[in-house]
Amino acid sequence: MSKVLCSVATRGRYFTTLPLVLNAIINQTRSPDKLIVFDDNDEPQDMRKEFIYQYFFQMLEHKGIEWEWQYADKKGQHHIHQRANMMGYDWIWRVDDDAVPEPNVLETLYSHIGEFVGAVGGSVLTPPYLPNTGSVTGSIDQIDNEPNIQWGKIERVKQVEHLHCTFLYRAGVHDYNLGLSRVAHREETLFTYGLHRKGYQVLAVPNAVTWHMKNPQGGIRSETRQEMFEHDEQIFKNVLKNRHHTIVVLNCGLGDHIVFSHVLPAIRNPLVFTCYPEVIPGKSIAEAFKLFGDIEPYNIYKKMDQWKWKNSLEDAYRKMYL
Amino acid sequence: MEEQFRRRISENVLMIIIAPYAQKLRTGKENPKNYPYWKELIEIIDEPIVQVGVEGEKQLVPNFKKNLPISELCKLLHECKTWIGVDSFFQHLAWDEGVPGIVLWGPSDPLIWGHPENINLLKDRSCLVENQFIWWEATEHKKERFVKPQIVLKNLEE
Repeated sequence: MSKVLCSVATRGRYFTTLPLVLNAIINQTRSPDKLIVFDDNDEPQDMRKEFIYQYFFQMLEHKGIEWEWQYADKKGQHHIHQRANMMGYDWIWRVDDDAVPEPNVLETLYSHIGEFVGAVGGSVLTPPYLPNTGSVTGSIDQIDNEPNIQWGKIERVKQVEHLHCTFLYRAGVHDYNLGLSRVAHREETLFTYGLHRKGYQVLAVPNAVTWHMKNPQGGIRSETRQEMFEHDEQIFKNVLKNRHHTIVVLNCGLGDHIVFSHVLPAIRNPLVFTCYPEVIPGKSIAEAFKLFGDIEPYNIYKKMDQWKWKNSLEDAYRKMYL
Repeated sequence: MEEQFRRRISENVLMIIIAPYAQKLRTGKENPKNYPYWKELIEIIDEPIVQVGVEGEKQLVPNFKKNLPISELCKLLHECKTWIGVDSFFQHLAWDEGVPGIVLWGPSDPLIWGHPENINLLKDRSCLVENQFIWWEATEHKKERFVKPQIVLKNLEE
């Protein structure tokens, strides 16, 4: 059975919605294998001293759910999610600290996973919610023209191109964009759309309701600086603008460029950013950084390390881009 | 023009290219992929040798062609008998040009970074560093990781 890590990022909600969320996670009909709470509070506390949390930790142990409380580095929740993404689990169930899942949510989401599935999300409802989002396409092209499919009751399984807030996703196959600002505006949209672009199915499924108790106080995104949102929105727009391309970033050595040249012809509609345009023509690495904020996901050496790679460099490029 | 070209080919046809050095490290330390026995190897090769590389690298033979553009390196590859190098861009270029040669391996893994079309001389897989994907600055240069010149010569003659 696949291992599921439940990841919760929290800030400013120790005594409001976070306890509701933890209680809901503990009482799932299908338990996660581990719960990790990333504490991004400005003044983090030792929650083992709080009686309600003492009960939570004991309940987790009683149910055989491993748990961990990590103090995060206040860079924003995309950094937190990326850390969870790389912890070696098969699937990550990410839950916001004001999103309270009904008891069957993880079991339902998990029942939809499969070889080609990248992410599964259910309804994320804030009363009064939309009665039905059946006509919503979930296409990235329509993101500014229709509500998110998760904002209403989902009546049937639908393949979409992006999800938000809370969902179960395949770990370690796509990176969060760490170039976003601390508010991490659009982070989950970019992430799930990235899974879609990699050929994985992104599913919106019925009978998995999470109640989003939008809490004006606290929250991992509790930043008000408009320029951060604008910065992130621009990255999002740049990704959308170039969505019909396969983005190739060759921030590597000259020899690596030569090896890559054998893979390039097989790449669909590539948009190349290169260090050695005399070998592989393309735009500059600085331009890639400006457009997408984060080019680390294209670091071939880092990927090979992550994959514990034993084959050739050429094959690694094939895995990355084909 | 054609005559000049022919003469150049005939001059180079018995030559062996050596590409002795991997990229300089930012720390200034010796790249751990650099072969430590070039001097000894050159002494026992009884054929003309041309060295290719960049400004700042140590000259090992009288004929040192520095900073050649890629197109010139390609020409040279097709004109020479064979080449000997380390794990550097040159082995990739030669592979791309379809000119096999000899690569002298130390801490990096030929199964990952090399090409089976070449003669890949690795002393032993125990000489490889465990993590192949770290910056090479973190790896110490060790002579004992490399094959001795006599083994290179034997492979050159075969």
